Amino acid sequence: MYIEEITLTHYRNYDQLSVSFDKKINVIIGENAQGKTNLMEAIYVLAFTKSHRTPRDKELIQWDAEYGKIEGRVFKRNQSFPLEVIFSNKGKKAKFNHIEQKRLSEYIGAMNVVMFAPEDLNLVKGSPSERRKFFDMEIGQTQPIYIYHLGQYQRILKERNALLKELQRQPQADPTMLRVYTDQLIDHASIILERRFLFLQKLRNWAQPIHEGISRGYEQLNIDYDASVDVSEDMDSEKIKIVLEEYFNKIESKEIERGTTLVGPHRDDLIFYVNDKNVQTFGSQGQQRTTALSLKLAEIELIYEEVGEYPILLLDDVLSELDDYRQSHLLNTIQGKVQTFVTTTSVDGIAHDTISQAEIFTIHNGYLVEER
Amino acid sequence: MYYPEPISKLVDSFTKLPGIGPKTAVRLAFFVLNMKEDDVLDFAKNLVNAKRELTHCSVCGHITDTDPCRICDDTERDSSLICVVQDPKDVIAMEKMKDFQGKYHVLHGAISPMDGIGPEDINVASLIERLKDEEVEELILATNPNVEGEATAMYISRLVKPSGIRISRIAHGLPVGGDLEYADEVTLSKALEGRRDL
Ligand SMILES: Nc1ncnc2c1ncn2[C@@H]1O[C@H](COP(=O)(O)OP(=O)(O)O)[C@@H](O)[C@H]1O
Ligand SMILES: [Mg+2]
Ligand SMILES: [Zn+2]
Repeated sequence: MYIEEITLTHYRNYDQLSVSFDKKINVIIGENAQGKTNLMEAIYVLAFTKSHRTPRDKELIQWDAEYGKIEGRVFKRNQSFPLEVIFSNKGKKAKFNHIEQKRLSEYIGAMNVVMFAPEDLNLVKGSPSERRKFFDMEIGQTQPIYIYHLGQYQRILKERNALLKELQRQPQADPTMLRVYTDQLIDHASIILERRFLFLQKLRNWAQPIHEGISRGYEQLNIDYDASVDVSEDMDSEKIKIVLEEYFNKIESKEIERGTTLVGPHRDDLIFYVNDKNVQTFGSQGQQRTTALSLKLAEIELIYEEVGEYPILLLDDVLSELDDYRQSHLLNTIQGKVQTFVTTTSVDGIAHDTISQAEIFTIHNGYLVEER
Repeated sequence: MYYPEPISKLVDSFTKLPGIGPKTAVRLAFFVLNMKEDDVLDFAKNLVNAKRELTHCSVCGHITDTDPCRICDDTERDSSLICVVQDPKDVIAMEKMKDFQGKYHVLHGAISPMDGIGPEDINVASLIERLKDEEVEELILATNPNVEGEATAMYISRLVKPSGIRISRIAHGLPVGGDLEYADEVTLSKALEGRRDL
């Protein structure tokens, strides 16, 4: 799939922009603070209705404007269709083929995007919540129902935690309501875990050979799911449910004492191993970066496997961060199959081959000029 | 801004209405000044009467001008079947489709610890009393299909289950995360047909 064109209205530092893209490689050159990331973000938001760098939608609207709008045309499965996301002080609206989609889970997945930005190099080193976010976004965009379960889970979790705080103050109170929330939480948690396990198995299958390739055969990657409860990857949701039920039953009084939910998918993490050593604690910076890159490349293949088309790849300021070998490995993997956006402050440090095939844009203060 | 006191008081009253901020309140207050005196008197009288003459039915909690309400009083209706809803507006929505022949119980809200609403803050206790006294055979839980409504339904179901009364939950046809009052009549009928046992 690829994005044919995009139109931004009052989006970040773009007052008005309409631009058509190349099906293969688009290179966007500009000094700092000119709007390169803003443009990448706009494509990302068109896919997810959410920014990759802020949870506050308001920031996306141009300062002093009433609303901000992103429109795009995407070509997928042999046809092209429009997508639209509008932000205003009344909230946001997302339209697929001119029709407003009331539920996030019905919109996401229309267009698949993989973003690779310098922050992602920290995926391995960063906090567990970053790894969970990586997981959740990637599962969500190929299985929209996952987003629904995640949303319900978070909602129930908030109610449950509020109730646990109350019970902490009055431990003698009737626990019936707590058990209701426990049941509801488990319903969604077991599905979330099942989907994460299935995803992990596929991710691992793709990431391992890729990692081996990038490391010229020297490194073996492995990925483990670090669950807060004693569940394992071979369990289905029914089995997971039984384990969770037992576990929550056992820790009920402890949870009341602490006033919060102690276990569940919101507490889980991923552990990466290179040659059987935990990369987060023992890996070199190079190994951590290779791991992050392997995961992103694996994601591209995984989306192809699930959706039947390659996603759109956004490389924001990241290509020049990679050494020549990793850069060429990345570009070889996508080899004209994947519509790719590369942003950079200068063309130095980017392989000549890439530049010669690409459509080049320069960007200055929210104005985009097509060079070739 | 300094207004003569009667206007200030009127502005203050308008801001008590939902969705009305200070600016709109001022606009409405000045609008009232230009209305015909008869219309203003009617308006004031209607406000007071709506409040005075309407109460909550002591049986089901629905808004009514007679107690018990006309629905509770209607001997033609099947009193072995009670549909539990969150809001009087839900009763009105269900009555419009004229399919349901049982009676109602209005909770006036849903349980949400986050908003400080516990079981004791909604109309559950009187439902349990009602189940003891009346010969109820089936309870349909038609709380909203979002987390709060779902949790409230499960709570009630846990309380009632030991009594052996059949409990069902409106199952599908309703938008998840949506409010019952937005559901159109066709989806509501479907939802009623498709109720499932809890
Ligand atoms: N809501 C907004 N309205 C107008 N300008 C904005 C808004 N948000 C960010 N900007 C401006 O956008 C610029 C940053 O653009 P960005 O795309 O992050 O730069 P870069 O080209 O370095 O990636 C800054 O000048 C910032 O002031
Ligand atoms: Mg940038
Ligand atoms: Zn009544």
